[in-house]
Amino acid sequence: MSDRQEKMRQSAEKLLRDGEVGYVIGWGATRFCDRTTPVFIDSPEGAASLVWNEHAVNSLAKYLLDDKYPDKKIGLFARGCESRAVNRMIKDNQVKRESLYLIGVPCDGKSSDRCRLCRERNPLVYDVLLWEPEANAAPADRFERVRGVEAMSPDERYRYWGGVYDRCIRCYACRNACPVCSCRECYVDMGRTGFQGKQHSRSDNQIFGVTRAFHVGDRCIECGECERACPMGLPIMGQTQKMLKEINELSGEYECGLDADSDSFLGRFDLDDKDEFM
Amino acid sequence: MSLTEGFEPKIIAFCCNWCTYTGADLAGLNRMKYPENVHVARVPCSGRVNPQFILRAFQKGCDGVMVCGCHPGDCHYSTGNYFTRRRFMLMKRMLEYNGIDPGRFHARWISGSEAAKFRDTVAEVSERLRKLGPNTKYREALREGADAGKGGAGI
Ligand code: SF4
Ligand code: FES
Repeated sequence: MSDRQEKMRQSAEKLLRDGEVGYVIGWGATRFCDRTTPVFIDSPEGAASLVWNEHAVNSLAKYLLDDKYPDKKIGLFARGCESRAVNRMIKDNQVKRESLYLIGVPCDGKSSDRCRLCRERNPLVYDVLLWEPEANAAPADRFERVRGVEAMSPDERYRYWGGVYDRCIRCYACRNACPVCSCRECYVDMGRTGFQGKQHSRSDNQIFGVTRAFHVGDRCIECGECERACPMGLPIMGQTQKMLKEINELSGEYECGLDADSDSFLGRFDLDDKDEFM
Repeated sequence: MSLTEGFEPKIIAFCCNWCTYTGADLAGLNRMKYPENVHVARVPCSGRVNPQFILRAFQKGCDGVMVCGCHPGDCHYSTGNYFTRRRFMLMKRMLEYNGIDPGRFHARWISGSEAAKFRDTVAEVSERLRKLGPNTKYREALREGADAGKGGAGI
C-alpha cells in the first residue's frame, strides 16, 4: 500500500517539477483516520501530502468541471470510475483530453458502499499506469434494487419513493457530486422559470428526484457518488439505475463511459426505434 | 364530498403545431364532438415537450397528460419526434416505476388530417381517466390531505 502511495507522490512531484501539469488532483489525509479529502497539489513539495489507502473513496473527476480551460494540463489520478467519468465528460464536450494528464492508479478496493456496483477497477484511459492492473471483483447484481421496487404495486411504489423523498433535504449534494451533471446553471437554481418548486414538500421533492434521474440517467456511469454524497443516505440510484435498466432493454447492452465515442441514449435516435405511440 | 362524485378528468394535451394541433383544428372545423376535458397546449414540435412538463402538470392538478406530434418521418423539423419517441418511452416507464398509473400518460402520433384519430384518442383517454378517478399522486394541492405523511416505506 505505502509502496503505491510512494509511487503516486513521486509521479506527482515529477510532473509538477517538470512543469508538465499545473496541479494534480489526488487524495490527502484529514483529522480522521478513516477519511481522506480531495486535494489539489500545485507544488512539487506538496506531493508529499498525497495519500492512498482504502478510505480514498471520493471520485475526483467532478473537479475537472470547475476548471474547463486550464492554462496547463491538469494531473488527475484515475481509477476505473474516474476514467469512465472522463470518457463521458469528453463525449459531452465538457473537458478536452489534451488538457488532462491521467495518472492511472488501478484500484485495490475502497471502503465505500458506492463501490458495490464497480465492474472496472482499472482506468480505461490514462497517460501512465503506476502499477499492474488489478483483477476486477464481481459487482453486486446491477439491477437488483430496481427489481425490488418493480415488484411492488403502483401504490406501494409511490409510497416507497414518497417515503424516500420525504427525507430529502434538497441540499443538492447528489447533483454536486455527479460527474455527468454538467450544466453551467442547474434548473433547480432557476427559481423563476417555474420548472421546479422550491418547497420542501413531498410533491416538489419527488419531482426533483425523478427529474434529476432523468437528466443524468442515460449518461450515468454508475459510480455511486450521488449516494455516497447524500447526507440522508437515500437510495437514489434506484432511479438512475431504472433508467439504465430500461435503456438496456430498449436498445441492447448499454453502459456509459467505457469509451469516449458513444452517444448517450437520449442524445441520438434510430429510425427503427421501438414505437409504442402509434 | 367524495372525490369521484361527478368527476370530470382534467387532461392537458401538448400538441405539436404542425400536425396534431392542425388535426385538432380540423376536428373542430368538421364539427366533431370530443370531450371538453382536454386542454390543448400548442408546442412548436413534440420535441419541445420537456418531461418535466408532465410532472408539473400532475403536480398542478391534471389527471392525465397527452403528448402528441407528427408521425415519425413527418416532423416539421425532420428529427424532433424521433427524440420525443425515445424520451417518452423512457419517461413513461419512469412514471410507472414511481407509481403513476400507466393510464395517466399517453403519447400519440396524430397527423394534420387525422381529426378523427384526435377525437377518438381524447375520448379514449378521458374515458380511461374517468374510471381511474382523480389523480392524487404528485399533486400539490392535496399534499396536506389525502396524501401527506403516509410514506415512510423502509429504506
Ligand atoms: S443528496 Fe440526498 S438529501 Fe441532498 S438533494 Fe440529493 S437526494 Fe436530497
Ligand atoms: S413538428 Fe410535429 S413532431 Fe416535430
